[in-house]
Amino acid sequence: MEWVEVRGKTVEVAVAAALQELGIESVEHAEVEVIQEPEKGFLGFGGQGAVVRVKQKPRSSRRRRSRRGGRSGKSSSSSEVSSGSGRSGGSQKGGSGGGSQSGSKGTSSSEKRSGPKPAGGGREGSKSSGSSKNSRSGGSQSRSSGGRSGGTPPSREKDQTKTREGAKVAEDVDIDQQREIVHEFLDGLVGAFGLEGTVVSSVDGDVIIADVTGEQTEALVGEKGSVLQAILELTRTVVQRKSQAGARIRLDIAGYNARRREALTIYARRLADKVVEEGGEVMLEPMNAAERKVVHDAVVEIEGVRTFSEGEDPYRSVIIASE
Amino acid sequence: MKGDIVESVVEYLAKEIVEDAEAVEVTIIEEGPDEVVAEVRAAKRDMGRVIGRRGRVARAIRAVAQAAAEEEGLDAGVEFID
Repeated sequence: MEWVEVRGKTVEVAVAAALQELGIESVEHAEVEVIQEPEKGFLGFGGQGAVVRVKQKPRSSRRRRSRRGGRSGKSSSSSEVSSGSGRSGGSQKGGSGGGSQSGSKGTSSSEKRSGPKPAGGGREGSKSSGSSKNSRSGGSQSRSSGGRSGGTPPSREKDQTKTREGAKVAEDVDIDQQREIVHEFLDGLVGAFGLEGTVVSSVDGDVIIADVTGEQTEALVGEKGSVLQAILELTRTVVQRKSQAGARIRLDIAGYNARRREALTIYARRLADKVVEEGGEVMLEPMNAAERKVVHDAVVEIEGVRTFSEGEDPYRSVIIASE
Repeated sequence: MKGDIVESVVEYLAKEIVEDAEAVEVTIIEEGPDEVVAEVRAAKRDMGRVIGRRGRVARAIRAVAQAAAEEEGLDAGVEFID
């Protein structure tokens, strides 16, 4: 079973959407990790604050499982969620809100930096949102980035990677390294333009998600997103050169793609309303995971319908069905 | 100076793409009142990288350089010099 990483207005909404995407009935059957607590307006677009990562709880040992084995934060991660959703939704598991705050910082695999910086300039200072210098070491993905960002030699972690679980782990570490390359490249580009902008990056399954935001970064979109497309192309080239690997990259600048997703949201809600009125179910056209997530997120708050996906990529489709 | 943003952007991109960043040189030439050309020089073995298969990378650099030029109210071309 794969992890899915979902953004939502609140932790609760994001978890609900993730559970639906995975077809899991209850959060008790899921492993949830809060990647990021909601933050107001950091994407500059309607409260897409929380990022959670969810997978089905393993019933038997899985190859992916041992990858998580080294993490001490595993058992605490599910409590993070209940406290996270407790804060937004008022669930019965109160009283651990403080823990969730620091916990989420610890497991964060996203980074934010503000403002332009000269390429390669002092980066360490601006990313220390946690209290300790190893604030990002809680998540499995930060292993590689910790090694990359200079101070600590990565050798010990590299060795572990090789001895434990071979390729699977290496792949996962690798994608975070790629994310780091993407992040720094975009950060440097915004700086080279002399623009005020923020880069936010994360990893969603095997996709690197990068958002460049800030009013001035509109200049990096171009007509019909042509400059955005060129920047994506160059980002891929740089990742390829620096890591000899090429994960999928989803790039958004100044909310351009987000606005396009917004159109899909409106469309999905209109369909859902129709299903509520008329019953039955509607199958949407095949979409990629990102787009399906948009549909799930759009419909999750509408009473009387549920969404699920059917088929195999690239023909996997969301179905909106009456309840 | 005219073309400063173009220069910094093109230089940044070229240096990110090549292996030998030290060898990258970008010169801005004023073609007219509203137009600059960025001449890019790089190590011989890196030229293929900067241009890319079927010129894809070069085309992308040109698109981003034009966006940089528009920040200064200019047009910009990029030439890759062997």
